[in-house]
Amino acid sequence: MIVFTLTNLKMMSRNRQATFWALFFPLMLVVVFGLLDIKGVGSPNLVLVDQANTEASELLREQLAGIEFLGLEQTQTSESAARLRVAEGDLDYLLIIPVGFVDLTPEGSSIAPVSVAFVHNTRDLQRNQLVDGVLRNLVAKVQPSNLSSEQALQVVSEEISIPEVSYFDSVLMGLIALGIMTSAIISIPVRISTYRNNSILKRLLVTPLPIWKYFASEISAHLVLAMVQAAIILAVGVFVFGARVHGNPVWLFVIVPLGSLVFLNIGFILSAWARTPAAASGMGNAVVLPMMFFAGTFFSTTTFPWIFPYLAEALPLTPMLSAMRQVAIDGAPIWETWPQLAIMAGWAAGTAVVAAKVFRFS
Amino acid sequence: MDTAIRVEGLVKRYGSFTAVDQVSFTVNRGEIFGILGPNGAGKTTTLEVIEGLLTPTEGEVTVLGLDVLKHRNEVKARIGVQLQSSAYFDYLSLKEILSLLGSFYPKRIDPQTLLEQVGLLDKSGSYVKHLSGGQVQRFTVAASLINDPELIILDEPTTGLDPQARRNIWGLIREIHQRGVTVVLTTHYMEEAEELCDRLAIMDGGSLKAVDTPRNLIGRLQAAYTVKLAMDNPLTEVQMASLNGSVEFVQELDGNSYLLRLKSGPSSLGKVLDEMVRSDINLERLEIAPVTLEDVFLELTGNELRD
Repeated sequence: MIVFTLTNLKMMSRNRQATFWALFFPLMLVVVFGLLDIKGVGSPNLVLVDQANTEASELLREQLAGIEFLGLEQTQTSESAARLRVAEGDLDYLLIIPVGFVDLTPEGSSIAPVSVAFVHNTRDLQRNQLVDGVLRNLVAKVQPSNLSSEQALQVVSEEISIPEVSYFDSVLMGLIALGIMTSAIISIPVRISTYRNNSILKRLLVTPLPIWKYFASEISAHLVLAMVQAAIILAVGVFVFGARVHGNPVWLFVIVPLGSLVFLNIGFILSAWARTPAAASGMGNAVVLPMMFFAGTFFSTTTFPWIFPYLAEALPLTPMLSAMRQVAIDGAPIWETWPQLAIMAGWAAGTAVVAAKVFRFS
Repeated sequence: MDTAIRVEGLVKRYGSFTAVDQVSFTVNRGEIFGILGPNGAGKTTTLEVIEGLLTPTEGEVTVLGLDVLKHRNEVKARIGVQLQSSAYFDYLSLKEILSLLGSFYPKRIDPQTLLEQVGLLDKSGSYVKHLSGGQVQRFTVAASLINDPELIILDEPTTGLDPQARRNIWGLIREIHQRGVTVVLTTHYMEEAEELCDRLAIMDGGSLKAVDTPRNLIGRLQAAYTVKLAMDNPLTEVQMASLNGSVEFVQELDGNSYLLRLKSGPSSLGKVLDEMVRSDINLERLEIAPVTLEDVFLELTGNELRD
């Protein structure tokens, strides 16, 4: 089996054209995103922690909800949980309305000098200033206009420093995953259909080689290829275009083979229907391209309309991207990504069962 | 004599289609055994059961004394197989392909030695795509020998080759045979079957029509000569009946010509010609040829063998 794996790698390295294109597409995108310095298309999100529960605070919530750009989340969460999310970079803005916030009812005439806390991270300073201004304006509007300047509520800005993450850092992870997905989902059906058409699979079956060893060698060779591919794309991103990896990059090389395994299995499944190499390549693309967009390779899926955010959750690329970004962008250790890794392992097992069921040798 | 392959009551069905129907034969050790038949006769299916690739619907197959179904891997380890129109890996040299295939077997021959045997030593570093058709076939025969097998199965080893390359492969097969390897091959070339094979099985439409030596198969047809006649006009029924005593009509060909077979030896030809004169049959052309396997095949299957 080791002989077969090494032989497979030898064949791949000699098939320069295929290997070149497997790397070319993601690297081209690395160059595009690296040169263009795109800021990212995702819009921010905001959580309002309302401890006052007054008419005025309710009015403020309504007005905030009216500003679509701010992405006000409707969930109820505690202040500490929300602060943690800001610190982790999950949440862009947090507004805390304390007890004693202005009460517009006649009996609530006493106005305590409390201040509204506006918590934000350091990810996008320009946008922070803009949002800060909008919030101050809104808070001022919900107060009775006859208040003196001493009585007026203050908005206190609070900044939580997080590592600076550029859109490119994040999209680089997407491009690594994209490269691995593309080469697995397209290359496997093309190889298998070629081998099938040329009776190479049958030629292997007439030898005493247990056929699982063939699959194992095919998979191991592709896993090695995936690691090399990931290393090259990462290196170009970091050393040529100055991307930053905030966590331990070694963890990426735990996620990459697991994700690659899922995509290789999908490739084996597709190969059951691909009669010719050309059809195989078309089918591979039909799976790869929608998945690339809907799983959030380039944009955050939370801003997608309608059912698409849920669709994203149902794609195998999504947990891979999420785990890679958690490790590389948020600097989390690998064990904190266990939910994603578990989903990926589930995908790997499920696709392996389907692949074994539908695979045909001739 | 020792038996290399025993096939008994083999049936292979795909749904309602019967690819092989009640086929039984044995192959002796040390012989070249040919399976002759047109495309779709069931030759490849029969071979694939012997090779352990297909599970038969009914019947028993033993190879080198082993039940193929029960000892699939041992059988695979001891036989060599050349598949019909099999290609090989694109980006491996001949030597590398042989090394890879060899790594699957417990016993193997050095790739260089094999390449030398088939006259491809100078190509050992080339890819398969850079070989000529004849060289590719020689290479696939070499590949079937990588495990030093006791029996090799060659599925149409010369199909698509020019006559010279075909003769070259025949020479190679004879050499292998002389080293004591049992050879089973399929072909749809009569000449190949006649030249190369010790014994022949004739298959058509999934069933076995006959198994014997080429000489005995030909001897089965009582007449040793066929006669092809061309006339100025089609024969009338009366004229045909008048000839019926000494010849047998086999086939009506185009352009007022007929294929006949003499019922007894060449001396009866005189009687036929006399009869023709008496019946006012105006002969334009006459060909006489000894009976060949082609005629045997025609007799057994009612079909001509085509490529």
